[in-house]
Amino acid sequence: MSGDDRIALTARAVAFDWSALPVHWIPGEPFATHLLDVLHLLLPEGERWFVRVFGAALPLVRDPALAEDVRGFIGQEAMHASSHQGVLDHFAARGVDTSPYVRQVEWMFTQALGERDLTGDAAREWLVERVALIAAIEHVTAFLGQWVLDARALDAAGTDPTMLDLLRWHGAEEVEHRAVAHDLLVHLDSRYSRRVRALIPAVPILVRLWAQGVGFLLRRDPVPTRARWRDLHRAATLGLCPAFRPTLRAMAAYLRPGYHPSHYGSTDAAVAYLATSSAARAADERAA
Amino acid sequence: MGDPGRTMRRVDAVVGLTARLAVRSGRRRRPAPAVDRDLRLAVAEVRAEAPDVVGLTLAGPGPLPAWRPGAHLDLVLPSGLVRQYSLCGDPLRRSEYRIAVRRVGAGSTEVHGLRAGDPVTVRGPRNAFPFVAAERYLFLAGGIGITPLAAMARAATTDWRLVHVGRDRASLPLSSGLDPARVSLRPDDEHGGPASAGELLEGWTPGTAVYCCGPPPMIDVVRRAMPAGHPFHAERFSPPPIRGGRPFVLDVDGVAVPVPADRSALDAVLTVRPEVPYSCRQGFCGTCHVPLLAGETEHDTAGPGRIALCVARAAGESVRIGL
Repeated sequence: MSGDDRIALTARAVAFDWSALPVHWIPGEPFATHLLDVLHLLLPEGERWFVRVFGAALPLVRDPALAEDVRGFIGQEAMHASSHQGVLDHFAARGVDTSPYVRQVEWMFTQALGERDLTGDAAREWLVERVALIAAIEHVTAFLGQWVLDARALDAAGTDPTMLDLLRWHGAEEVEHRAVAHDLLVHLDSRYSRRVRALIPAVPILVRLWAQGVGFLLRRDPVPTRARWRDLHRAATLGLCPAFRPTLRAMAAYLRPGYHPSHYGSTDAAVAYLATSSAARAADERAA
Repeated sequence: MGDPGRTMRRVDAVVGLTARLAVRSGRRRRPAPAVDRDLRLAVAEVRAEAPDVVGLTLAGPGPLPAWRPGAHLDLVLPSGLVRQYSLCGDPLRRSEYRIAVRRVGAGSTEVHGLRAGDPVTVRGPRNAFPFVAAERYLFLAGGIGITPLAAMARAATTDWRLVHVGRDRASLPLSSGLDPARVSLRPDDEHGGPASAGELLEGWTPGTAVYCCGPPPMIDVVRRAMPAGHPFHAERFSPPPIRGGRPFVLDVDGVAVPVPADRSALDAVLTVRPEVPYSCRQGFCGTCHVPLLAGETEHDTAGPGRIALCVARAAGESVRIGL
């Protein structure tokens, strides 16, 4: 554990209504909209995989405080998955068939990254490796979470408020629980090589899937187009997606031997957002 | 699952290689040894804070784990009961924890029986009510809900006000140590009944973060009255105890597990299968939803053919589940 304040992680029973969501929910910015829309295609399957892997890893945990954090993480990830699934279902209701892409993603998370027919010690070590992969991905999601909390350009661009609340609620919880996957990995295997090696498959696969996803959605836009580098450049310049250099710097930070997620991002910013979020506040109201 | 496509075949090759490396690398893996998080402390001081409120100082050898205002700890009582109490002391005094406890039930009555020198076990602290920077603060305390807010008020470095409500003056402990110019006491008996949300939020201006701690109905009315988009903080409580439940039997893969009236099916399952994952304990996150093989359930939030172990109960004498 780290820092001087251990946040009690708990899932929030959020609910979103997408019936009034415009196709381009960042007005006039189809590329930036679809760049972020890829989240809805990747995350439901991806986060359900996190939930399965962490659920399977719980019996290996021999630290009650860490087990508590892992349980909180699981509930939060489950709610992220179902909330992004809600957007995906809305796409389907609108007549955008995302299944050719989502089927691939599902295959990856259930087959390639599933049990792989391993048993005994091999199954356990493959489980630890998947925790290492998730820790690397959680480094990326914590970076993206902090970015979306800080991205004033999204407000200025007139982003749909419900979508912005989904992204920021999700981002805030990613920041809130950013140390859990790392702490779990270090508990199971504290070797530096084990941790950083996971970046090698994780980052290229993520980048490749993201690029495919943007192309897929742009081809199904009411005005079909193709993904172009200059559109990415434009979105980054406008601040509608993370810029290249800060992203690279954040990824490089994972290589530091003394790396700990608590050194990056701001829990206070996450807590402050969750105190104003309509979705989070409605969730607390339901829980009361 | 059909042909995964060219990209996925490549992904599968990379992942397959990763898995083989993992199995090899695992031969030299040394997992962390078991970690004991129990803090064995002793009661250092007992003080009457109000007619039915006792203040305890718990101290241990060496510096204790750090905390920030809003944090609470689990107090394990000699009878085995575990109760959660907010820390109300000074976070910089690393050698002790201070709590204040109103006598309301079995747990708090046991706390009131503790004497200086008695050993206690503590877990935590953890924070479900984090205190973060704001331009101004309005702290709204109901009765013993003052405990986390007293720590926050002392730590606040910007302008703040605190309103403390309760049945009568005697039920308003702990605010005496705070700057009287910033504290308003509002006993119900002197004002003809409980405060409305309007009274509590009187003088609130945009930019003021509201921190509210008290009975759930008080938190609820303030939350509803707070304008959208402005910070409202309340403690996120663990699920309430089960009341009015009927005992039933859970058939877990052929093993009969009794579920007492005041425990959930999840609690019962964990006694025989401690590895079963769960999270929210309120029925919504889906982590403990498992196949329901036979029997009818009530209060169930899982879909057809499934049971939410944390909240569902058998409609009849028993249900059969598969894990």
